[in-house]
Amino acid sequence: MDEQKQVTRRDFLRQLGVTVGAAGLGATGIGATGYLAAPARAAMKPKGNIPSTPIKTGHITFLTGPAELLGGPGLRGHLLAAEEINAQGGILGKRKIETIQADEAAGTDANVKELRRMKLSEKIDLFTGVISSGNTPALGPVAEELKVLTMFNDGCTDFLFDKAVPNPKYVFRVTNIQSADGVTAAVGAAQHWPKARKIASIQPDYSYGRNVHEHFTLALERLTGGIEVVAEAWPKLFTTDFTPHITKLLSAKPDLLVVGLWGGDYVAFYKQALRYGLFDKMKVATTLAFGGVPHAVGKDHPEGVLAGVHANYHFLYPPGDQWPVNKKFVDTYHKRWKEYPSFESDGAYTTLMMYKAAVEKANQLTGGWPDDEAIIAMLEGMGYDSPAGYVYIRPDNHQGYKDAVTGLTKNLPEYDFPVWDPNSIVYIPIRSITAPPNWPKPGQGGNNESTAAADWIKKTWPKAKA
Amino acid sequence: MDILVLQILNSLFYASVLFLLAAGLSLIFGVMGIINMAHGSLYALGAYVTAWVITFAATAVHPAVLFLLLPAGALVVTAAGVVIEPVLLRPLYKRPEEYQLLITFGLLLVLEDVMRFVWGGTPLSASPLMDALGIVHVGEFVYPTYNLLVIAIGVFAALGVWAFVYRTRFGVMLRATSQDRRMASALGMNVGRVYVQAFGLGCFMAGLGGAIVVPSQAAVLGMGVEVLVLAFVVVVIGGLGSLEGALVGALIVSFVRTGVIQFYEELELAVLYLIAAAVLLVRPTGLFGRPQ
Repeated sequence: MDEQKQVTRRDFLRQLGVTVGAAGLGATGIGATGYLAAPARAAMKPKGNIPSTPIKTGHITFLTGPAELLGGPGLRGHLLAAEEINAQGGILGKRKIETIQADEAAGTDANVKELRRMKLSEKIDLFTGVISSGNTPALGPVAEELKVLTMFNDGCTDFLFDKAVPNPKYVFRVTNIQSADGVTAAVGAAQHWPKARKIASIQPDYSYGRNVHEHFTLALERLTGGIEVVAEAWPKLFTTDFTPHITKLLSAKPDLLVVGLWGGDYVAFYKQALRYGLFDKMKVATTLAFGGVPHAVGKDHPEGVLAGVHANYHFLYPPGDQWPVNKKFVDTYHKRWKEYPSFESDGAYTTLMMYKAAVEKANQLTGGWPDDEAIIAMLEGMGYDSPAGYVYIRPDNHQGYKDAVTGLTKNLPEYDFPVWDPNSIVYIPIRSITAPPNWPKPGQGGNNESTAAADWIKKTWPKAKA
Repeated sequence: MDILVLQILNSLFYASVLFLLAAGLSLIFGVMGIINMAHGSLYALGAYVTAWVITFAATAVHPAVLFLLLPAGALVVTAAGVVIEPVLLRPLYKRPEEYQLLITFGLLLVLEDVMRFVWGGTPLSASPLMDALGIVHVGEFVYPTYNLLVIAIGVFAALGVWAFVYRTRFGVMLRATSQDRRMASALGMNVGRVYVQAFGLGCFMAGLGGAIVVPSQAAVLGMGVEVLVLAFVVVVIGGLGSLEGALVGALIVSFVRTGVIQFYEELELAVLYLIAAAVLLVRPTGLFGRPQ
């Protein structure tokens, strides 16, 4: 399908359903159909005998190191959901949630051992958390082997459900898929800077950075046409001195820089790049500038930078007046933790709430405490009104999908940290940037790309006239 | 050409920080025979304390005064070192080396958690110092003036340590202790006090490294672990226990790293480890190390 039909960039973005600014809210999935397990719905009376033993959840996330910036808010989202559920007496009014925590920074092997220990010694009912894309592909197969119901918060690599666990039964993942990050940044860049042709890229040197680089350049080439990658920088994960990389990027004189650094790495990077005048010399699109706690990025951060949230969630969107679920979540979260939530907070919170909704629904059908098979059947295909908008768990791959969002940084007087310029926000229906159900996985059905998404983009996206 | 100037300045900047770290590591090993695994965390502690003090003071005092507060991190780390040596390390000198490795590694873990407990996961910065000095123009590019100050501090630190070790009475005692502890003790020197002072000086240098780097970057959790690895590469190349080795090693590591990043980045760490391996094969004690 190399003979592409040609379209204009504007038509292309319109076909994708991309909308910009406050008027775009119709596209966030609000009012989407499907069966909704709305948190606001009055609780149905539990059927049958429910034991009063607690539900044990295991939660592995980064509690130390530079990635705590993502892991900490995730854990706080999880704990808030557990507290809210426990305040109502627990799930089905009887079973309170207990959480066993472990530090993801211990490394992949230690995480796998800890998951085994949690299941075999602690007898956990549900496993949650996990940030790193290096860890979910190792933990996923083990969770299937142990038959432990698992709802990963992040660790968003396409590889998990493309290759590591191609036919998941016990494993689910709630926040968006990784390739959506690079594609979302590309759509945002094409929308705001359609004339950028010379592209530079700085990515952490591991699977996440590789994935962002590949999908960003692939999508941008289709969206604007005629791009050229003039420089690549691949700092090791958790680098602190970025000055040689920044100098290298400056020397290539790009129009646009795509940045996949996250956590403490991004903070250290932007502070150094600022003093080298990098932001004055090129446009900058990021996938995770607003990925940590919102106040991690200071008001010294330049305005007009495309600030990604992992294609997931920013606490101001969807706006509270239009989406009360979000307002309620942000208010209670802020009251509990004295800070605003990040996308990891929303993901971990939504994970527990979806589990609760699935148990309640299964209970109505089976009576008593439902077994895992029944809970899984309810999770598959579940739609849920989360703080971030409508989330849908696809039955074929157990992946949570919600519409992607990104925007340009701006300093508003109401906040001590930069937020998005309300007029710059780009909403993208998730179906427009992810491979549809049953698209051939890598290595099957003529898909020789690294992900199903890359193959799908190459075979189906038209190419905009340069 | 402008890029070359910038990359040379980048290398000198990073070499200054690495030198402070590696020289302290080397000094402590040279005198006391201890490989201090917690050295990177002491560097991070210096960064956190300075960033914290600067953030506190930034709204209250004149920027010129802020520069006087820059060494706060170094002083706090020195104070910590003066407590750590007699309390944690002294009981273990008679034991085999693995005990010392274990206790300093334990200290690393404790310090990492203390920093997280006190300052949380959100990075701290000391940007007002950076902004106070502005930028210099290098052709069409700009370079932060503050980084030139860091390079200058690195040069002064190297000269100062050299003068201290080779030109003062205390330096003679340090070197005597490092060459033969029992003989130094037999000649009437208070070896215990020399140990505290050496450890304190090593900690001061680590803390100073953290303090001067933080305005240009940010204090983030885990920063000490990342830099400890490079500091070990520096001392392996230069020779553990040698100050000249720390200086030359820091320059080699920093310039090679910058060069590789500019031209063939995938090999960043591989090239550094290859150099370290080559040095170990040809001169197992490092370029400036002396056989034990």
